[in-house]
Amino acid sequence: MPLAFAWSDFAQQVTSGLAAGAIYASLALALVLIYQTTNVVNFAQGEMATFTTFIAWMFMDRGLPYWPAFALTLLIAFAGGVGVERVLIRPIEHRPEIVIVIMTIGLLIALNGLTGWIWGPEVKAFDSPFPNSSVIVGGVAISVRDIGTFCVCLGVVVLLWLFFRFTTLGLAMRAVAFNPDASRLMGVRVGWMLALGWGFAAVLGAIAGMMAAPTIFLDPDMMIVVLIYAFAAAVLGGIDSPVGAVVGGLLLGVVINLLGAYVNFVGNELRLPTALAVLLLVLVIRPTGLFGRRVVRRV
Amino acid sequence: MTRRWVGPALTALVLAGAVVLIVFLPRMTSEFRLGQFTYVAIYFIALLGLNILTGYNGQISLGHAAFMAVGGYTAAVLILGQEGFKLVGQEPAEIIPKHGITPIWTIPIAGLVTGVIGYLFGLPALRLAGVSLALATFAVAVSMPAIAKRFEHLTGGGGGLSLPLPEAPFGWDISPPHWLYYEAWGAAGILFVVAWLLVRGRVGRAWRSIRDGEVAAVSSGVSPAVYKTLAFGISSAYAGVAGALFAIQNSYINPDTFPLTLSILLLASAVIGGLSSLSGVIVGALVLEFLPIYAQEPPVFDVNFAKQAAPVVFGVVLMLIVFLMPGGAAGLLRRLTRPIVAAASRRS
Amino acid sequence: MAPAVESKVAGVGHFPKEGDFVNRALVALAAMLTALAVCIPGAFARVDSRSGSVATPGVTKTSITIGGTFPLSGPASLYAPIPRGMEAYFNWVNNRKGPDGKTGVYGRKIVWKYYDDGYNPAQTVQLTNKLVLEDKIFADVGSLGTEHNQAIRPMLNQRKIPQILVATGASYWGLQYKQFPWTIGWQPDYIAEGRAYGVWITRNAPNAKIAVFYQNDDYGKDYLRGLNIGLGAKKSLIVSEQSYEATDTSYASQIARQKASGADTWVLLSIPTPTVRALATAKALNWKPNTIVINSVAAIDSVMKAAATNAGPQYVNGAISSGYLKNNDAPKYQNDPIVVRYKKLLAQYGPQGADPNNTFYFYGFAKAYDVVKLLYLAGKNPTRQSLIKATLRMNWVNPYMIKGIKVKTGKSDHFPISQIKLVRYENGVFTEFGSLIKGR
Repeated sequence: MPLAFAWSDFAQQVTSGLAAGAIYASLALALVLIYQTTNVVNFAQGEMATFTTFIAWMFMDRGLPYWPAFALTLLIAFAGGVGVERVLIRPIEHRPEIVIVIMTIGLLIALNGLTGWIWGPEVKAFDSPFPNSSVIVGGVAISVRDIGTFCVCLGVVVLLWLFFRFTTLGLAMRAVAFNPDASRLMGVRVGWMLALGWGFAAVLGAIAGMMAAPTIFLDPDMMIVVLIYAFAAAVLGGIDSPVGAVVGGLLLGVVINLLGAYVNFVGNELRLPTALAVLLLVLVIRPTGLFGRRVVRRV
Repeated sequence: MTRRWVGPALTALVLAGAVVLIVFLPRMTSEFRLGQFTYVAIYFIALLGLNILTGYNGQISLGHAAFMAVGGYTAAVLILGQEGFKLVGQEPAEIIPKHGITPIWTIPIAGLVTGVIGYLFGLPALRLAGVSLALATFAVAVSMPAIAKRFEHLTGGGGGLSLPLPEAPFGWDISPPHWLYYEAWGAAGILFVVAWLLVRGRVGRAWRSIRDGEVAAVSSGVSPAVYKTLAFGISSAYAGVAGALFAIQNSYINPDTFPLTLSILLLASAVIGGLSSLSGVIVGALVLEFLPIYAQEPPVFDVNFAKQAAPVVFGVVLMLIVFLMPGGAAGLLRRLTRPIVAAASRRS
Repeated sequence: MAPAVESKVAGVGHFPKEGDFVNRALVALAAMLTALAVCIPGAFARVDSRSGSVATPGVTKTSITIGGTFPLSGPASLYAPIPRGMEAYFNWVNNRKGPDGKTGVYGRKIVWKYYDDGYNPAQTVQLTNKLVLEDKIFADVGSLGTEHNQAIRPMLNQRKIPQILVATGASYWGLQYKQFPWTIGWQPDYIAEGRAYGVWITRNAPNAKIAVFYQNDDYGKDYLRGLNIGLGAKKSLIVSEQSYEATDTSYASQIARQKASGADTWVLLSIPTPTVRALATAKALNWKPNTIVINSVAAIDSVMKAAATNAGPQYVNGAISSGYLKNNDAPKYQNDPIVVRYKKLLAQYGPQGADPNNTFYFYGFAKAYDVVKLLYLAGKNPTRQSLIKATLRMNWVNPYMIKGIKVKTGKSDHFPISQIKLVRYENGVFTEFGSLIKGR
């Protein structure tokens, strides 16, 4: 139904777009982290996130308070990520890209099935450390939970940045991403750096899952669509740029809302296709994305 | 000396055997099983197309179900015509032809339409390499249901379109399931030969050289732009034909009949069969048709257990194949038969 | 000879020489064509698959085979307990002594076949073929899903196979009986339910400003149509209509608009998971409409519990919905003899670890009750014809349903259940209120 344009409405659309975008951004960040270190796009990233979120739910269902369950889940996610790299990806790392893509698709199918099998299809409420209430700023309702989610996502980005910038381990990982052969000569244990990359990505995924679950609720297919938005965000920002992933995620969240709200042809129905079409356009005009730096063209 | 005719003779023998088997299968099997083999033919066509694109040309598509949907909808709309839409109480779009046409003619048209759309999609896709392309096609597969729903007067929206139940055309006296079976396998046979001639000829060589190194291909005078879009167009045309046959066989179509899962399973089956091998495609098609149905009635496990476990098994099998059988079923077959052929060729 | 062409993917290979492959291709092509030419006469000899059947398919002296398709895996597998509940009930019927003094129905055991279509209509078609051609079912019973039943309806009608008591509330099962006489629905239809909400609003909140949030497909639109019929002349009360897609992860954009429209009554025509998401989102946007009306899918208690946990019990208290089955999870019915017996039978005959509080096992029992009644009504020597005739002579009280509801059909009434009762969510449970509402 057409509505006269109002700034408060516009601001509301932008704010809620940012909230949704923060979730896309954290999963996109996980994708970028893996791509940066191993040149692999992990199609199972969403399912890994769902699986670990269910583990967190299980802990809380058994009576563990939120933060211990949260921490324990991150540990398990880290171990899981490292394990996936060592067991599934390492043996095929020198095979063509498509083989690795298919491996992660195999993992996607298996994990999705496993999650449904273990925990069933019923929708589950998932706790959040932030209350589901809101503050009103200039006629715009801002959810406290959304602010919390947003801060967690930003906090993670800052932590990651500090890690890569100022720690030896972080520097080593960056070196491996930049030039594995040279790093090996310098004595960096390249294999373990890659595994660490997967571990951190799994942790990021788990955080994305646990931040998303309170608003979109927990079910086995929870992250499938989020993953698609995360892909779009990562590609939009430049698949090798963490900053790009965050900006891409937030931008995507806002643009989708605005398109749906203000462009009649798009409406509520074509929001996803339009977002993906925009994405395709960006890719064609600027294949490296908004913040991407290098063009990889293997000979 | 080596007997150079042994290899070709063996191939010829196997193919002739396959044709005999396909033609006489309906006499040996039940009506339900016959329907399943019709689906096998349909998947066979779709996988042939996917293999051309992904196996021979190295372009990953995670959106082939969406191309099948284009073919399916094209066929459905042409079969119904505006009259058919009105008959089921739906408001047809202006561009739909007034009268419906005989289903069989919609198949090549669907192939053509989908081929053109695929070719057009291939143009921007030129700029996308490897993983980006996988993501872009994934996006297409995800968007398809929403787009199909939005253009309700063309697609019947979420409720979909029911087609008239199939029957043999031109007043031929064949029961419908038999007709559908021969129709699908006839198309499969023709398209198999076409694919074979393509991949073995000049075009195929160009495709492979692009796959194995674009820069090298350019330096040997092959234009990636021309051949990559061509691969996209042809591959989509195959998917379109498969989609049309699928719609006719089901006599029903809606966005859920071509889900994202189908796109993923198509790629998985192509890998299971073996990329860049035409003979492996049949294995992929058999797996795609029979696994989901027979996983429900396993001879050994507890039924409830198996129903839950089927997707897990599928994923694990896929991962194992990537590990253990890099060439898929076709690669395995090749490894097994090579010593035999070699022995037969050498013995003299 | 040269090995077949392999790719980098398949290992390291090399191309065959030009002449080599042309020869090979020609030889193989010739072989295929020869084989085809030889076979064709044989193939087109008429194969008659339609052998004249004497007896009724699926019915023997000792058994009667029926079947259906359900989503047992994937996102819609929420409904998987339905066929399992039916299975438990049939198992019991096969073991108890019936009114005729025999086990089963007239001494015939009920064989219940059901398959997982993954909520994909293409799979429904294939698996229904399997039920019809391989399992030789007597009738297709209770298959789930609107589009899914629509996909198989022409085929079943052409073969004159009853497609009865389908598990979907689309209105056309009852309306299009002239075109599809072998098909009949069961539960109250979506239009009727939507109408009940409309009528309730005009009577109880005549000055309401209504916002409607619906699923953008036939399901949501049927409800919306019903709501509009119910509102009648008061249609203009609707101030905002917003839809959502299955691929939406956030509804904040739509719901912010609904809040801005100034609506005070919110009608949610959505399936379970989106319903909870919408409630949580509205809470996050600080919007508290006075009245929330949700379609009966949300009467699944786990869904409302999830919403209450998230948005707080205060927020969802007072939500209006509707029902026609007894609520097997509500305190009111804990001592109801039929619910007590249901729990006992489910534990004895149902799948291991089945949760008796799950609405869908109960739904399965209620449906199975009517199936058994129909099989008796179809007579001692049932035929497909006699079964479908029986579906038009239904007239009884199903004890699994809310008191007063009658299962009733007639020559011109093809809606077995058309009464519903409104329920209100209070302190963790839905409680019935008001009198029965006639849907048609």
